[in-house]
Amino acid sequence: MSVSVLIVDDSPIARKMLRRALPPDWDITIQEASDGAQAIDIYRKGSVELMFLDLTMPNIDGYGVLEVLQAEGLNCIVIVVSADVQPQARERVLAMGAIAFIPKPVNPEGLQEVLRQYGILV
Amino acid sequence: MINGLNEDQSAALQELANIGMGQAGNSLALIWKEFVHLSIPRIAMVDASRLPDLILSFVGDTAVSASRQAFHGGFRGEVLVVVTARDRNGLAQLMGYEGQLDAAEREEVLLDIVNILGGACVGGIAQQVSAEIGFSAPSLIGEDLDPLDVINPEQLAIDTALSLEVCFQVENRSLTAHLVILLPNNEVGALADLLDQFLCTLEA
Repeated sequence: MSVSVLIVDDSPIARKMLRRALPPDWDITIQEASDGAQAIDIYRKGSVELMFLDLTMPNIDGYGVLEVLQAEGLNCIVIVVSADVQPQARERVLAMGAIAFIPKPVNPEGLQEVLRQYGILV
Repeated sequence: MINGLNEDQSAALQELANIGMGQAGNSLALIWKEFVHLSIPRIAMVDASRLPDLILSFVGDTAVSASRQAFHGGFRGEVLVVVTARDRNGLAQLMGYEGQLDAAEREEVLLDIVNILGGACVGGIAQQVSAEIGFSAPSLIGEDLDPLDVINPEQLAIDTALSLEVCFQVENRSLTAHLVILLPNNEVGALADLLDQFLCTLEA
């Protein structure tokens, strides 16, 4: 069954880079959001199973999105994808409920390994 | 859209600069032993003749310090970092300098900052577009300068420059550094070509 994926990033190029890093034969439907507020709106509609979340964004950043998701029960898997590669950023988002942190630029093999590790990709 | 680059090239440059600045944030966090909150870099291509006004608009009517570092390779140019005295002192404190800085220490701070920020930003862009790039040793432009005197456009053999404004927040302190990347006229096209090649890899 198709996995519902939401890519959240203010950069259209970053969204494209992430799409490109996803397994080509993976059965998914992709939605995109260009800021945190839009991501929360889409999430609240209830169809998101996996969210790729950038951290540095306008109109609610990635941390803000994680706060909202946590407060509302975190009903999807969140993988943070960020250029902010500080170890503290990774620790902070994992403490806020993200299952993994992937540094930009996204390495397709690394991403697929994470997806397999968490049973998202079989 | 950035003047001289089309919409896709501009978006690519913005994201690549963002990735580069993320690396810079990590370098600074390691040096400062503090979590560095980075803003989204504000990026724009400006006419070289407008550079003094641009720097004035960045910092307001206050004295600034500036340093520079040349780069060469796949595309070449020069990166300038401009900071106010307040921001320079704040950066120095984070780097472990204490008390009143002497001239040599202030210069050291300014050279370190251009090295870290310029290297991360330009180096990050170059790495992503698969361009080999090297850096010359950084040098001091000056201290306590009028913002309008940092750059004399008449002495530059360029028409355009790329400006990048980066704000850091560390604990309760907010520090700002301004990067200006000077690209000789023919290098904007070289950068555009490299960005096109990068964009092609996303479409393939």
